[in-house]
Amino acid sequence: MKEYTSNNIGDTQKIAKEVAGTLRGGELIALAGNLGAGKTVFVKALARAMGIEDNITSPTFVLMKVYDADFGKVERLVHVDCYRLEHAEDLQDIGLGDYLNHDNNVVVVEWADKINDLPEGTIYIKIESLGGDKRKIIID
Amino acid sequence: MKVLAIESSCDETAVAKIEGGGDSLILEKNAIYSQIDIHKKYGGVVPEVAARKHLETIIPLVDDTLGKDKLKDVDYLAVTSGPGLITSLLLGMTVAKTLAYINKLPLVPINHMEGHVYSNWLSNDELVKNSQKYFPSLVLIVSGGHTELVLMKGHGDYQLIGQTLDDAVGEAYDKVAKMMNLGYPGGPIVSRLAEEGDDKAYKLPRPMMDKDNYDFSLAGLKTAVLYTLEKKKNINKKDVKDVCASFQTAVTDVLVHKTIRAVGEFGVKSIMLAGGVAANSNLKSRLSVEAKKLDMPFFFPEIKYTGDNAAMIAAAAYYKIQNKQADILQGKEIFNLQPKSNWQLVK
Repeated sequence: MKEYTSNNIGDTQKIAKEVAGTLRGGELIALAGNLGAGKTVFVKALARAMGIEDNITSPTFVLMKVYDADFGKVERLVHVDCYRLEHAEDLQDIGLGDYLNHDNNVVVVEWADKINDLPEGTIYIKIESLGGDKRKIIID
Repeated sequence: MKVLAIESSCDETAVAKIEGGGDSLILEKNAIYSQIDIHKKYGGVVPEVAARKHLETIIPLVDDTLGKDKLKDVDYLAVTSGPGLITSLLLGMTVAKTLAYINKLPLVPINHMEGHVYSNWLSNDELVKNSQKYFPSLVLIVSGGHTELVLMKGHGDYQLIGQTLDDAVGEAYDKVAKMMNLGYPGGPIVSRLAEEGDDKAYKLPRPMMDKDNYDFSLAGLKTAVLYTLEKKKNINKKDVKDVCASFQTAVTDVLVHKTIRAVGEFGVKSIMLAGGVAANSNLKSRLSVEAKKLDMPFFFPEIKYTGDNAAMIAAAAYYKIQNKQADILQGKEIFNLQPKSNWQLVK
């Protein structure tokens, strides 16, 4: 487990870059944190660190967005939002099964704390607001 | 020319039939089955439940719309093929593809957001009669999943001018509603409460309003509302109304400010509003006042066409076919059509 303190978006970008450096493809990243903690900000930074130039927007409404990537073996960044979901099966229903456990994909799930039974090997990232722009980021 | 359209991209199942002929657009049938009451208890759309409901309702709805004439006088079928929930899209598309193939009718896939743009044509006869007079038009598309400023140079010809960098307007409304446990869907509830509140009670940011571009950012505003609520601890009914009013005014300020600034820069001949949030009366009245100051025609869809419906899909299909811009599928190629859940109208 690693714990970071981020004082601003620049710090968060550095942490995201460090995470991106460990990605080899096939990973599932579970992001937890309250409304406004900065989960989407982290995903934006991660995408940028992976060389993705698309505008990363909240996937709350459509539940899942897929971005093309060219980052080592990784060809796709799949951005999922469980804010409106209740069960792990809901993730299958939106078609996530097509992307999971695939060497060419990295899957990031926001509001992952709503889903209990995530597979083994999942990278857990928890973001807590410390007031203002300050955040505690825990990576497990 | 008669078009039958099917729409099932989210939680509404809809079928509509339209007859278009040059400078007329006649909506013959418009049926919608909404699942909002079903999804209320979940505080949002549950994909599996939505898909099951689409499955139950779509055939009776199509039967009802067609009546005993069936598809006799229909020239084209149209269907929403994105963006939306993949499981919901699949239902409508499967029905449309099957109907088209069996009846040997051409099928036209339509972008859901383009449908929202054409809800303006359903609501304004003047646009139908004199479209060209109002191009280029600046279209503000605001819904649960989208917030975009688009320059519409002509039918089917779009240029993206700005968009949200994080949350969509409708989504921000929903999330603010959820913070105060106001219910789902949040937009109409927040805007109704806002009418009775004091919009100066809380100082909220206007993110990116003075930036030199046309992009929006609403996540920070949503977080500011959250901090405001956390600071207050005890929130009475009046506080809720004041928060709603302060939030709504902040959102409208940014949307109106950027839209009006773009009017000047791009030399447009009209302003249009589209998407579910086009039902928001605060946004409509503020835009209308500003447009009047500029002597600029301002179009918006009737309330009944702001939500998801198939009439707008049929209208978009009609204009695309008419202007030879449609992607017309026939015979076996119909089966190559796949749902595109992230289909962007303009990149």
